[in-house]
Amino acid sequence: MKIGLEVHVAIPTKSKLFCACSTSADEPNSSICPICMGFPGSKPMLNKAAIEYALSVSAALHCKTGKATSFVRKVYFYPDLPKSYQITQLQDAIGFGGYVELEKKKIGIRRIQLEEDPAKIIREDNYTLIDFNRSGVPLLEIVTEPDIASQDELREFVNELRSILYYLGFDIEREIKADLNISVADARVEVKNVNGIRNLVDAAQHEIRRQEDLHSKKQKIVAETRSYNEKTLRTESSREKESDEEYGFIYEPDLTVYQIKPKKLAKPIYAGIIARELAGGTGQLKKTVLDLIQFDSRALELFEHARGKWPLQSIINVVEVLNKYGAKDIGMAHFEKLLDVARAGTPISKQVLEQVKKGVKVEISEVSSAEVDREIKEIIRKNSHLLKEYEKNPKVFNFIVGDVAKKLKANPKEVSERLRGILEKGFKG
Amino acid sequence: MKNLGEIKDLNQRLHFFSAINDSAKDAARFSVKDNICVKGFEARAGSKILSGYVPPFDATCVERMAKKGYNFIGKTVMDEFGFGSFGVNTDVQARNPFDEKRVAGGSSSGAAVATAVLKDHIAISESTGGSISNPASFCGVVGFTPTYGTVSRYGLIDYANSLDKIGLMARSSEEIRKAFDIIRGADRYDTTCTENGITDSKKKKLVVIDQLMHGIDDGILASFEALLAKLEGMGYKVERTSLDFIDKAIPAYYIISMAEASTNLAKYTGYKYGRQLDAFTKKYNEFFTEAREVFGMEAKRRIVLGTFVRSASVKERYYTKALKVRALLANKLSELMKDAFVISPTMPIMAPKIDEAAELPPLQAYAMDSLTIPPNLTGLPHVSFPYDYLKGMPVGAQLVTTHFNDYALLDFVGKWEKSFDYKFKYNL
Repeated sequence: MKIGLEVHVAIPTKSKLFCACSTSADEPNSSICPICMGFPGSKPMLNKAAIEYALSVSAALHCKTGKATSFVRKVYFYPDLPKSYQITQLQDAIGFGGYVELEKKKIGIRRIQLEEDPAKIIREDNYTLIDFNRSGVPLLEIVTEPDIASQDELREFVNELRSILYYLGFDIEREIKADLNISVADARVEVKNVNGIRNLVDAAQHEIRRQEDLHSKKQKIVAETRSYNEKTLRTESSREKESDEEYGFIYEPDLTVYQIKPKKLAKPIYAGIIARELAGGTGQLKKTVLDLIQFDSRALELFEHARGKWPLQSIINVVEVLNKYGAKDIGMAHFEKLLDVARAGTPISKQVLEQVKKGVKVEISEVSSAEVDREIKEIIRKNSHLLKEYEKNPKVFNFIVGDVAKKLKANPKEVSERLRGILEKGFKG
Repeated sequence: MKNLGEIKDLNQRLHFFSAINDSAKDAARFSVKDNICVKGFEARAGSKILSGYVPPFDATCVERMAKKGYNFIGKTVMDEFGFGSFGVNTDVQARNPFDEKRVAGGSSSGAAVATAVLKDHIAISESTGGSISNPASFCGVVGFTPTYGTVSRYGLIDYANSLDKIGLMARSSEEIRKAFDIIRGADRYDTTCTENGITDSKKKKLVVIDQLMHGIDDGILASFEALLAKLEGMGYKVERTSLDFIDKAIPAYYIISMAEASTNLAKYTGYKYGRQLDAFTKKYNEFFTEAREVFGMEAKRRIVLGTFVRSASVKERYYTKALKVRALLANKLSELMKDAFVISPTMPIMAPKIDEAAELPPLQAYAMDSLTIPPNLTGLPHVSFPYDYLKGMPVGAQLVTTHFNDYALLDFVGKWEKSFDYKFKYNL
């Protein structure tokens, strides 16, 4: 199975791609001008900030970038397109030939290009409204190779891509729009204009099932364009052949070829790779860390701050608690206190959090080594079977540590060191 | 204006203004071709589809002229979107002041007539394939088309963006030079407009390209030879040369200009500005089709041909090839003009009668641009200046130089004007 994607995301510039209008207006048709309305006589002027964002994404996705980039006109008639052509890119796109690294494989990126968003169409029962605020908002189109082989990979890819974009300053709350290309057998089917990640994964699932069904029945899968219906949870034929698309591309003569000068770009952050490093592997622990840092730069900051100095589990615990109480803006000194509390095995309640914030000393039961030793020995004496089981099942070690640490509110790490010492001395109860 | 009444009366006969600014002052007057935006004045670019379009902004060149104290007096008529060589492809057809039965040329027909009838006046006009040289020649005024990219196109209603050049007409090279220095120079609203230094590299050699001299009216040919003799007398050296490749200029020009025009005209769909339809119950494709019915025949022809030459199956054969021809021709001409100007008559014929021009088949009409297209296609600066009067009608010659050597053209015409008096029938 081969799945390829064309993802459209809005670039978070303050102004539109070809004019000075704001990209963040609420009242419909309030952020428009002769340029983004395509008034006769107006000309586009290129927003360089959009180019820089696009270059940052290109670099983050390991794409190659040429010395220059240029634009084309894609001509088609639709009420949301003021000039009846969209200014987009083709041959000299911003980036090409890159990849996104997933846990087990790389997904190729064929092309990254800049283009302008059309206006927004609002359909009512008996009429349609057009909001031109969106007309000219800069979009980045990211086209993958058909390297995605399952829904899980699709989900992983989309989230990793969104995470990279998030860390480059993109607003990932805005819905992403995507076109899916799916071929279970030979025929390539395009599912156009899918909004949002859930729909994307669902649409893929339903389209895969539909094609597999046809394939197993030895029926012909038609190469065509389909759309996803969220209500029926099915893809439907759009009754248009791909070859019928004729956009009559020409160079955009109002924009000269833009020379790309080497510049320092925003440093990309790959949350998946960081989570794997922190967790030392790819299991459940990595997933827990990834969930915390994938779309949360403050959480990542906290992890980076504590990394190597406190046990990973303590960091996870504290960040989870801070998430729960919406308190991640806590100062680093207080954060460190909380880490100490967590390392000592003390659960962090809201009260503890408040105390730390107010600078009140939190009672961490400082347990002496002698007390720990006494407790360990007592448990072993009371449960004489433990030692025998330990020879067969090393997990018993952790059970003892946990039990003691809980009882004494002691630091599990310290308990485990004391226990190892006691066992090494040949304590038999 | 003191003589506003007289101007309006004459305009009733010659149809050069589509709108007159009643409150304009008398001194330092300038008019603006109707495809260039002046805030608050309807800009139709000669098309019915733009009826009622009142731009909410000034073109950069208009703003710069006004800032220097020039007074805007009116919008001048033109062929629809600049599609024409005689000013007849529109609903209001300008008439030649030297013979009112004859055309004024095109597409900047009104600009040339206004310049021929008004004194102390500059016409801001525009050329894509010869729309300044051609009417300037027919109406006996100086028409200057600068190097592509020296004057901002912001506010120009596009015909073919990579070919459109805003330029000037006046009764002397001196007036043109003054206005040129005001309107030229980089503009953040037009990415293709640059701040290149304009040079004045004078040439003593004049090159006549053999291929351009084919198909020229006998009378014009004879008077042009007389002009060359006169210029030799003024110290210029005349040289004849052959440039076969120049025959490719007309097809390349029409392919590129129509391809771009067909995309520029796509925006006229009848619901945002200009002609507005109420038929909102129709499906959008039918709605657009109805709105676009009012395009003139020539506009429709160029939309159809332009859409064809850029369609995927033939694009390489036409559009892409034409781009290559343009680049190659620019090199060949620049090479030829290292130490020379290229000179030719501006038009191969005398101004035809209006009804004759209107009936000319398209291919013959396109062939009338054979002399103006080479410099226009390649973005080279050129100037047309009157040098003779045949049977009472003015005749113009066209001088071309290398990119950004614009001043040298005006310098040449300035010297010519010392030995030749231009004639005008009206001095309003």
